[in-house]
Amino acid sequence: MVDVYVNPMNPVTANRRHYEDLAVGEVLDIGHTTVSKDMIIAFATEFDPFPFHLDEEAAKASLLGGLASSGWQTAALSLRMLGESFLNTIASMGGLGFSDLKWKKPVMVGDTIGGTATITGLRRSRHHPERGIVTLDFDVRNQRGEPVMSMRLANLIGLRDPGVPLIEGENP
Amino acid sequence: MTRWFEDIDIDEPFPLGSHSFTEEEIIRFGRLYDPQYFHVDPEAAKFSHFGGLVASGWHTVTVGHRRMVDALFAEEDRLRSLGREPGVSGPSPGVNKMEFKVPVRPGDTVTYTLIVTGKRPSNSIPGWGLLFNAIDAVNQRGELVYHAELVGFSKLRDYKMPLSLRFLSALTRLPVLGKLMRPKTG
Repeated sequence: MVDVYVNPMNPVTANRRHYEDLAVGEVLDIGHTTVSKDMIIAFATEFDPFPFHLDEEAAKASLLGGLASSGWQTAALSLRMLGESFLNTIASMGGLGFSDLKWKKPVMVGDTIGGTATITGLRRSRHHPERGIVTLDFDVRNQRGEPVMSMRLANLIGLRDPGVPLIEGENP
Repeated sequence: MTRWFEDIDIDEPFPLGSHSFTEEEIIRFGRLYDPQYFHVDPEAAKFSHFGGLVASGWHTVTVGHRRMVDALFAEEDRLRSLGREPGVSGPSPGVNKMEFKVPVRPGDTVTYTLIVTGKRPSNSIPGWGLLFNAIDAVNQRGELVYHAELVGFSKLRDYKMPLSLRFLSALTRLPVLGKLMRPKTG
């Protein structure tokens, strides 16, 4: 006997794509963003006030070689691009976290970053039948096509029909 | 932390301080970086499984980073006041793991702690060491908000650059060659 979970209708996400509508291998274009000096200094002032993110001279003398965005800003801007292009079009239930975040090359003033996120995993939650987990691999590059950041993000997504029993092996 | 690589103790908890999250700043961060309805719209958020507005996990993490930067500067001041020369921190090559556990709601206070769990000299950047850092963020009820495993750089105090590398390093300071030769962080 399977417990049938009744999904209370969420008017915010009712017409969005759910777990059942996604497929592994789907490549999402997250668009692109140009990073200005003002953006870099504003973010660094609030979240990452190391001299090499705030001051051009200090930045030149550092490992970065010039004024560059905080890695957290590069990640946050990538997240916003994913939000606008994907997370706000699905029944997202929030992030679980991420792994293997690599800052490969500094993002300098005037650089344009963007790229893709590829769905690399889809599985049902073991304890919450109404939830699935989508795994996304980011490939963020600058305007010269050089990789600047990669990471693997795990996000919760609602099922349209949570009553469908979990198939053995569906949740490795 | 802003100590020389050689002076960093493994497994010593390093308190980074606390931060209380207001509804206003949760929404402001959400609008800028994570514009999902449960991070930006308190009314719509009631329909979510959170039952109300919650901070983006990335917000709690970037605030944790700020707490760490401030703690590093404070450690630098402390060492100077003892008449000792502080070390030098470098940019981070990445984050191995970040697990969001319990959501942060308006009015919650999050306390951050850093523990260096391992260190080794960098293979790719002479004179620098890699630090393997763990950060735990805990709310006012003692619940784990997130657990992170990050990598950082710290300069070696006792490093003597070999002559051949000193020559290469001088070349990287030339405008054209430097651009071609400057090492990637990592």
